[in-house]
Amino acid sequence: MNKLTGNTRKLVMTAMLSAVATVLMFVDFSVPFMPNYIKMDISELPALIASFSMGPAAGVAVCLIKNLANLFRSQTGGIGELCNFFLGICFVLPAGLVYKMNKTKKGALTGCLVGAVSMAALSLPLNYFFIYPIYSKFMSMEAIIKSYQIIFPKVNSLFECLLIFNVPFTFIKGLLVAILTFALYKKIAPVIHGKG
Amino acid sequence: MMDITIGQFFPGDSIIHRMDPRTKILFTMLYMIVIFLVNNFAGFAVIFLFILAVIVSSRVPVKYYFKGLKTILILMLFTALFNLFLTPGNTIYTLPYLGWTISDSGIRFAAFMLFRLTFLLIGTSALTFTTSPVVLTDGLEYLMRPFSKIGVPAHEIAMMMTIALRFIPTFAEETDRIKKAQSARGADFESGSILKRAKAMVPILVPLFVGAFRRADDLAIAMEARCYRGGEGRTSLKQLSFSYADIYGLASAAIILTAVIICNIYSHF
Repeated sequence: MNKLTGNTRKLVMTAMLSAVATVLMFVDFSVPFMPNYIKMDISELPALIASFSMGPAAGVAVCLIKNLANLFRSQTGGIGELCNFFLGICFVLPAGLVYKMNKTKKGALTGCLVGAVSMAALSLPLNYFFIYPIYSKFMSMEAIIKSYQIIFPKVNSLFECLLIFNVPFTFIKGLLVAILTFALYKKIAPVIHGKG
Repeated sequence: MMDITIGQFFPGDSIIHRMDPRTKILFTMLYMIVIFLVNNFAGFAVIFLFILAVIVSSRVPVKYYFKGLKTILILMLFTALFNLFLTPGNTIYTLPYLGWTISDSGIRFAAFMLFRLTFLLIGTSALTFTTSPVVLTDGLEYLMRPFSKIGVPAHEIAMMMTIALRFIPTFAEETDRIKKAQSARGADFESGSILKRAKAMVPILVPLFVGAFRRADDLAIAMEARCYRGGEGRTSLKQLSFSYADIYGLASAAIILTAVIICNIYSHF
């Protein structure tokens, strides 16, 4: 079995993880304290596992395929998918790169944390300059801000909304995926490396 | 059972079904841009006529288009209500007790956005109704080919996409089965904090991932046994080709773009 040249196996593995990621997109938790168009899901988990086991490029590929597959049934005309794709990259790329340089448990932990922080931090400019301006083509900016004010009346600009809600939310999402990766990785690592 | 239908392909033999997927993808992209360009209701009238023509000639029952809209009905109503009440302008009505105001520009804005969202979704679902995901992936591969010169692995992406599309229903079913099996053993997925619920996912995720990797191994062996060696020099059974249907598509794209631009300049409604 291990005589496989690796490339085909890597390709198929990445594809399978993308399929799992797409399925996991449907298993979402709705979260209290957030406007209802924001959902928590753990579909970054297969991407992170791909990034750790087959390199950062595989992680990025999982993010891409997952969102392409979801495009066929998109409810946002592709905007949500685009956002998810970029945020996914912000998470798995740094995490994978850190782990690649230091392939220990500590390396994996640092990688996860760096990934979660970078995803949370980059979500701010990404949402502010790119995603929300597109959303505002469907909903007035006043309405978007008001929908946040219903939950927390003190916010009065989009920047504050994002800083108070989206950034911590994204960070928690990253941490959640990191915790699950740690809980899972040891159990599935033998199968990933073809010894199961 | 989780309702996972990737793509909403409605088999048929209409002129739109027969169009080349590349034409349809490019057309849809252009259509999305045009939707954002429209700045008055006359433009939407043009889009409406066009969409009507697409729906009729696609021979997909109209109820399917509405079914697609139904899934986001709540989001649409929510958006419309917010736009209606929260857009500043000349107040024309104030709700008793609540003190929320409806302004003239609020009504205009809410209607405008509702049209934009509806037309965007109907237009994009026309693509997925008339093109199967696999054919769409083929089209994407062709369209991405020029980018492979700058390092985009067009063939690999399309191949992974095809494999993923094949296995998504399988894994959805498997997830469902594992969930039921663990519930039968007393697992609880519905209560507790986010962390607790996430932890409850582990007994589902482990068998899911292990199953996925086993299948990956089997498929990789099967592919290598059939001498799969990447996209270089690979030929395909079904060649994509342009036909007269694509010329109609191209012509209507030009017409709709011109019409919308004319409406934008000359109409003030």
